[in-house]
Amino acid sequence: MNLFTQAVISGLMIGAVYAFLGIGLVLVYRTARILNLAHGETFAITGVAAALLAKAGLPLPAALGLAMLIALAFALSLHRFVLRPRAEWPAGNLILITLGAAFVVRGVLVLAAGTDPVSFPALFTGMPLRIAGGVIPPQGIALVVLGFGASAAVGFYLARTRSGKQLLAAAENPYAAELVGVNVERARLTAYGIGAILGGLAGVLLIPLIAVDFQSGLAMTMRGFIAAAICGMSPVGVLFSGVGLGLFESMVGAYLGALYQDPVMFFLLILVALWQSRHIRFGGTRRA
Amino acid sequence: MKLVLWAAFAAAVIALPYTGLVPAWTPAQATVAGLTGLSLIGLNLIFGVTGMLALGQAAFTAIPGYAAGMLEKQGVPGLLAIVLGVMVSVAIARLVAEIFVRLPGIYLAIGTLGFAFVVEGVARAFPSLTGGASGLVLVPPIALSRDAWYAVAISFLIVALVSFHFLVRGRLLRTLQLVRHDELAAQVLGVNVARVKASVFTLGSAYSAVGGVLLAYYVGVLAPETGGVNASLESLAMVIIGGAGALLGPLVGAAGVQWLFSVAGGAEHYELLVYGLGFFLVVLFAPAGIMGLFVRRKAGVAATPLPAATPAAHAAREGVCLRVENVAKHFGGLRAVDGVSFDVRFGAVVALIGPNGAGKSTLFNCISGIEPLTSGRVVLEGVDVTAAPIHRRAGEIGRSFQVPRLVPEMTTLDNVAARLDHLPGFRGNTYGTARAQLAAFALDDFAERRVSEIGLGFHKLIELSRASAGAPPLLLLDEPAVGLTAEEVSRLVAALQRLKNEGAAILVVEHNIDFVSTIADEVIVIDSGRLIARGKPSQVIADPMVQEAYFGALA
Repeated sequence: MNLFTQAVISGLMIGAVYAFLGIGLVLVYRTARILNLAHGETFAITGVAAALLAKAGLPLPAALGLAMLIALAFALSLHRFVLRPRAEWPAGNLILITLGAAFVVRGVLVLAAGTDPVSFPALFTGMPLRIAGGVIPPQGIALVVLGFGASAAVGFYLARTRSGKQLLAAAENPYAAELVGVNVERARLTAYGIGAILGGLAGVLLIPLIAVDFQSGLAMTMRGFIAAAICGMSPVGVLFSGVGLGLFESMVGAYLGALYQDPVMFFLLILVALWQSRHIRFGGTRRA
Repeated sequence: MKLVLWAAFAAAVIALPYTGLVPAWTPAQATVAGLTGLSLIGLNLIFGVTGMLALGQAAFTAIPGYAAGMLEKQGVPGLLAIVLGVMVSVAIARLVAEIFVRLPGIYLAIGTLGFAFVVEGVARAFPSLTGGASGLVLVPPIALSRDAWYAVAISFLIVALVSFHFLVRGRLLRTLQLVRHDELAAQVLGVNVARVKASVFTLGSAYSAVGGVLLAYYVGVLAPETGGVNASLESLAMVIIGGAGALLGPLVGAAGVQWLFSVAGGAEHYELLVYGLGFFLVVLFAPAGIMGLFVRRKAGVAATPLPAATPAAHAAREGVCLRVENVAKHFGGLRAVDGVSFDVRFGAVVALIGPNGAGKSTLFNCISGIEPLTSGRVVLEGVDVTAAPIHRRAGEIGRSFQVPRLVPEMTTLDNVAARLDHLPGFRGNTYGTARAQLAAFALDDFAERRVSEIGLGFHKLIELSRASAGAPPLLLLDEPAVGLTAEEVSRLVAALQRLKNEGAAILVVEHNIDFVSTIADEVIVIDSGRLIARGKPSQVIADPMVQEAYFGALA
């Protein structure tokens, strides 16, 4: 088995997941001006719920569908019932609320599934494919294909459809968008919805290959944020930075060992921060 | 008298574990709660008071213990190892802070979160150094009895609380509130925001380190999860539940949660959810936490009359105060300001007018340092400040904003005092001068009131009195008359007239033509980033080119 090819394959798989998560994070950030720290929880909720439902005897597709619905309901209610009524609060407090929501989800997940990682069977089974000395299971192929397919679909939606353009307009300037008849509230709800579906899809596709526990949500949010920060919060750029991040992490795991993945991620975050700091001349300035 | 009451209250709380009045509240429990509370004082300073979202603070409570334990293995004597461990942790905290404080707050949040992942991961990954998942065994250099440990915990806690109480007030508290509320306004008032935030993070982490290392030695084992994400989130939850920003908040939170779990007992799986729900509900519905139930929110200053100093008059100054030379600011292809030159003399009011989007606010931001220039120079009192950061120009520039940027939860007096705090060369009595400054603007009635309780119309005047406090040579006023009633405008005109007579150079952006005609010595008209006319108000307003640009087809 070729270590490099294998690392590229896992990098593409994990990168597709980071791209998924990054898109949701960026869309919500751009439309609602909130960095949603509970975003990665859609991934964790889907994974844990699917594992429990499948274990309870539900057919796999039904379990996966239901789990994704639960994650979607979580994200939409967080926006509709918690954040939206407090839209006038300072941004820092809203971020704190999303952290609190993530915290509650962690607690619920521990209660529901314990602290040990859980998993569920892959949706796509069969013989793994061998390419250039690497092995990719059918689920992995689905992850990569669907990952890029869905990302491209979101890109198309944003760039070409009326509703997608409205969403970006709402992101650019909510007041101006409102004035020309864009429904900013619907744009925000759509952003949370797309984010949750992509987060759930990432969970459905990736978790059978690894596993999930109550800690996965914030770890995913962090990686999604790093991907988003690298490309400067661009909803299309995050596809590329997400995949790049996945490949990089996978290389580190293959050549240095999985133990180094967290430290190297942190180091990467430091580099991003130092690079971004060059563009911001003075400490923490917002435009007046 | 108050001190005696406090001492009696403290003594009663300290004696509580020995009375058996509270079920399950033993000296051992109280020691853990006290040391946890001690480490949380740091997080309270960083997050509660200054509003920095630190999501990995537990890392800085675990590092000193790990460092001390590893140093001991190398043969460093116990007490020295502990002191060195604390120093190592604080140094690392400083480094982490330096990297992230210049960026928007979310970077610090994610950065500290990532750091907690790293610390827990590394602690697990190198069992030979850290004891791995089963933990690092720590033996106290001096064997202490249960009661002696309790006494140690209480002594350190008292020192920490008292130091916090005397440190976080007055000038520092005003600065931290300013930074928390509005980093840009803080910089415009002369605060080096990045440095303040880095220092706060370092100091807070020192409290975390001392509490953390003592707790680690008391428990005797340091497990990887002590420094991880969960522990960090739980720390944040305890501070928030207890009351973020309040002196006793972290202690109340730590003791309350500690007690709750010891009474409930054996609820490991519920624990995280209880923390999470507590955190979430308090943030949503009771942001002041448990302390909010007890503490009446009082204004920051006692209403003791202070001797009012006369406001420092501008020294008689002559000549050019501000020189703007060929200043240009481009955003991509947009030339917001495109080669503008003019100057403002001492004792003169220059009005900058022009249609919306003409580049007036951008020009203001260029002068005060918020926007770096694409080209050109800004010269203040003969010194080129083009490359100087915002807070370095604050001594020369007093600025007001289109929408006033006051700190609503501070009193009017504190808002003005916060300006004097950071004015280079100011050596007077801060409150006395601030009071005199308010009196000069006939705002003395508002001195002790929070800005949030004062009508919006007055905010402009309060901001003007803050901007001109300490008599900076140049005033930049962004639409000072907008939204004011006729009566308020006449007060504003009188105030500006006075400042002008005292020698200030005043540059004002304004749309109100009557106001401009009354107050301005010179009018500069900007359109599409270019200077299109300048001169006496009456001439400029009559200029057909200005009529076209400014009033469009209506004129």
